[in-house]
Amino acid sequence: MLGFIFNEAMRDLRRAGRVGVSAILLIALSLTALGGFWLLSLNLGRAIAQWGDRVRVIVYLKDEPPAARLEELLQRIEAVGGVQRLRFVSKAEALRVLKRSLGSQADVAEQLPRNPLPASVEVTPDAAMATPEGTRALVSRLAALPEVEEVQGGSQWVDGLAQFRRLFQGVGLAVGAVLALAAILTVTTATTLVLHLRRDEMEIMRLVGATENVIRWPRLLQGMAQGLVASIVALATLELAYAVAVPRLEPLLPVTIGLERVAFLSPWQALALIGAGTMLGAMGGLLARGRAHA
Amino acid sequence: MIRLQHVSKVYGAGASRVVALNGITFSIAKGEFVVLNGASGAGKTTLLRMLYRADVPSEGDIEVAGFDVTELRRSEIPRLRRSIGIVFQDSKLLAGRTVFENVAFVLRVLGAPRREITPRTFAALKAVGLSARAQAYPNQLSQGEAQRASLARAIVKSPGLLLADEPTGNLDEDMAGEILGLVKDIWSRGTTVLFATHQARLVPLLKRRTLRLEHGRLVKDEG
Repeated sequence: MLGFIFNEAMRDLRRAGRVGVSAILLIALSLTALGGFWLLSLNLGRAIAQWGDRVRVIVYLKDEPPAARLEELLQRIEAVGGVQRLRFVSKAEALRVLKRSLGSQADVAEQLPRNPLPASVEVTPDAAMATPEGTRALVSRLAALPEVEEVQGGSQWVDGLAQFRRLFQGVGLAVGAVLALAAILTVTTATTLVLHLRRDEMEIMRLVGATENVIRWPRLLQGMAQGLVASIVALATLELAYAVAVPRLEPLLPVTIGLERVAFLSPWQALALIGAGTMLGAMGGLLARGRAHA
Repeated sequence: MIRLQHVSKVYGAGASRVVALNGITFSIAKGEFVVLNGASGAGKTTLLRMLYRADVPSEGDIEVAGFDVTELRRSEIPRLRRSIGIVFQDSKLLAGRTVFENVAFVLRVLGAPRREITPRTFAALKAVGLSARAQAYPNQLSQGEAQRASLARAIVKSPGLLLADEPTGNLDEDMAGEILGLVKDIWSRGTTVLFATHQARLVPLLKRRTLRLEHGRLVKDEG
């Protein structure tokens, strides 16, 4: 019986002809678009995660604490939570850093009547806090400490990148959804056309006592086969685009978004894409109408 | 095998109301050969359609091969139809398949074991004298051959009941005689037959119990 259903599905696929090929191409197009957005979003996510590791929060102090009270202050800062590492930067060290960064013009700093730079504590948020939301929360908790003059969070641009990624994912989903809908409609049309062609067969099948499952399964399998072929075409297209584009893009990445290399979809993600294509095809097959009269 | 109790069928309502069948009651025992005779539009096809549950009666009860057809659930219809072979005036052969494939199609659809399909198909083709034309396509067959292929398709699943809806309607006298002979052979092997025809000249040839329908009413049950 399974052999019969499979053979009928393949026979229907051949009968679908150009409409069947159009359905495959449309599903492939929608999956390529979805996969492309997914790939870019994936790499943006990696960049954001990487930059999250480098986020620092600088806590400027009103006064430099005496050495005897420094440990207690650091403990209180750590107690606000979400802190991975702390480093105290004294006024003197801050000035040394400034001079070093001024290089040959360091003597400008020498002429200052007194050290104007505040003492500070560099706070590295832990992994859970290294998100835009986490960093904002940490900054507001640190700013509430009485010894603190000002807190500068280093997550603004990461925040922007994350927003861009969300927007990007939204656009990707919208484009993918529109293309997926078009693909489902095309598969539905292809399957309905085949049903129209095989309405005599379906009538005979019903008259001789075939169950509805035997009549419907070839239709479902036809759609699934179209979706499967389309998803393999989409993956091959993405692989090809990756192979062509990555050697040109990778030299630019470290100086732009800080990534060393561009990742491709993992085997599981590729399988998910194939599954999505197969599901799209199955939906088209299920939506097809055209019951023969018997 | 078949039992109808006060069966009526009405299509439409009001001014467009048409009574296709009106209070039909009869029984056909297992192994009987019964002719259903009546002019075109008398209700023969409507009656046959209700027997294989392509239609439902407006009133009355129908029992076929142990199935209460009137109360049959949709999911049970395939089981009823597996016990019935049906032949139509139009052979309804599938154009893209050979005679062999048309007949074997039934067994494949019903999930018969693969090893049984070829011998059973050839046995059915042999029974209607069409073995030599097994590889022909429907457009290469004469009307008589097409109707014989249709008969082979109806009997290949070994049904207990054969419903023949005007199978000789499109055939000349010789070909009609051939088909009648084949149907009688099938009946002689134990299959119950209900043979619908508008051709009054066939009735005396068949010499069997005859039900006569006129304007949806059963007016005669004799023989």
